[in-house]
Amino acid sequence: MALRDAAVVGYAETKIVEKSDRDIWEIGAELLATLLDRTGFEKGEIDGLILSSSMTGASNAFWSQTTADQLGLELDFCQTVDIGGSSPTGALARAAAALDAGLAMTVFCLYADTQVAENNSRQRSFHGEWAAPLGYLGPPAAFGLLSKRYEHQFGLDYSALGKLAVAQRGHALLNDLACEKLRKPITIEDYLNSRMIADPIRLLDSVMVCDGGSGLLVTSRKRAKQKGLSKFVVPIGYGERTNFRIAENIVDVTESGHSAAGKRALEMAGLSARDIASFHPYDDFIIAIMMQLEMLGFCKRGQGCAFVKETDFTHTGNLPLNTSGGQISAGQAGLAGGGTNLVEAVRQLFGEGGKRQISNTKNAVVTGIGGIPYGRNWATSVVMVLTPDA
Amino acid sequence: MSAPLNDTLSVKREAPKPRSYSKPFWDATREKKLIIQYCRKSGKYQFFPRATSLFTGRPDLEWREVSGKGEIFSYTVARRTREPFQGHEPFFIATVTLDVGVNVLGNVVHCELDEMRIGLPVKPFWAPLPNGTNLLMFEPDR
Repeated sequence: MALRDAAVVGYAETKIVEKSDRDIWEIGAELLATLLDRTGFEKGEIDGLILSSSMTGASNAFWSQTTADQLGLELDFCQTVDIGGSSPTGALARAAAALDAGLAMTVFCLYADTQVAENNSRQRSFHGEWAAPLGYLGPPAAFGLLSKRYEHQFGLDYSALGKLAVAQRGHALLNDLACEKLRKPITIEDYLNSRMIADPIRLLDSVMVCDGGSGLLVTSRKRAKQKGLSKFVVPIGYGERTNFRIAENIVDVTESGHSAAGKRALEMAGLSARDIASFHPYDDFIIAIMMQLEMLGFCKRGQGCAFVKETDFTHTGNLPLNTSGGQISAGQAGLAGGGTNLVEAVRQLFGEGGKRQISNTKNAVVTGIGGIPYGRNWATSVVMVLTPDA
Repeated sequence: MSAPLNDTLSVKREAPKPRSYSKPFWDATREKKLIIQYCRKSGKYQFFPRATSLFTGRPDLEWREVSGKGEIFSYTVARRTREPFQGHEPFFIATVTLDVGVNVLGNVVHCELDEMRIGLPVKPFWAPLPNGTNLLMFEPDR
């Protein structure tokens, strides 16, 4: 048994909206019904539930069991993953681990958040004491500090970052589930001229927080075959790193835990960066995409912008990127937003990308970023390699 | 030529609520003294204050007063904020590398955009908080 004995047999996703008029459990119920319809599984066969973080559920210390109750699930394994935006991909890894340990047979990974409509979070962290008194708004300030430092060390070609923004926006135009407000074409000039939020972070660098959800149904490959399912997706490599270089006082913020997590995931998969067929990185700010290209070894550190300039990231290009628009152009479904790029990778490997289907579906790499720490880049980095039935 | 950015000194900040292990830091700011945790076993400073050493996992820490002088490691200009900072933009938020080798976040005051740069020498500037403690800020050390 191993990670690759797990099989993602179904995926589901809701429309991403600026503000949900539906309760988070109604979203969860829709995702559950869609997964049952698409896979032929019965509700009673689901014996595991793994939730991503959510701002709506953040006040409830009983969140996973309460949600299971609301959805009528009787379970042998039930938990919430709380590594921020890394949670959806982290949840799939934990589902595979639970299957591997024999703790569950069929796991529903549910990623839903209605952060705009109902934010119940009250975060206990360094923030109240060491950041809030500075007017430090969190992610934009953190990425402003990161970007200025990157520029100082390596230089930053903002038109290269704009190219990433434009490629993702093009994909959102092909995604009916993307937030409607964002489904307007943009140019590199639009990116460069968008207003500054926290220098040099612009509006079009940034995600817009939205409401929505996605989910996966995960079982063993053996069970998937017993059920006669012909299409499924297998995780063949995973790496996770929280608090990269926590014991260093002066951290080079241009390097992230993805260097460690990516190395582990790719080694587990037996692949190198040049073998990656499509890339679905967590995108809260555009520069995070460019940095992850460096961290995973698509190019050397400091060469990210040059690599971007010579690469075609569209769904017909040589390295398709976040082909449903990424969070920046599809909308960030709160702390469940990491599910957007993950579910898109699964959809592409199922060959169900429709008008944005990519041609090379040998594999796909998904990443996560979670949490903004004090004076560093991000708290948790995850990397997962997926293949069609391997 | 550019004007100095907002010094945010008129922002109605609340005094942060210290934790059991960070109270000495805030108490020292009443006298505008900067004290930082020092790990005896590893011979290193650490910031922000924690209940344990980042280096050894043991609470073998002492407080040492430091000058607070350092240089800009990175900076950003906050142009969009929330209450109580709304209307006080734009202002600087910077990461400062102190002489003793730790990075500290702080506002930078009395500084123009043209003067700001990574590597700029800075020194502490203390902004009063309502409970008699002071918030550590920085200003150029000209």
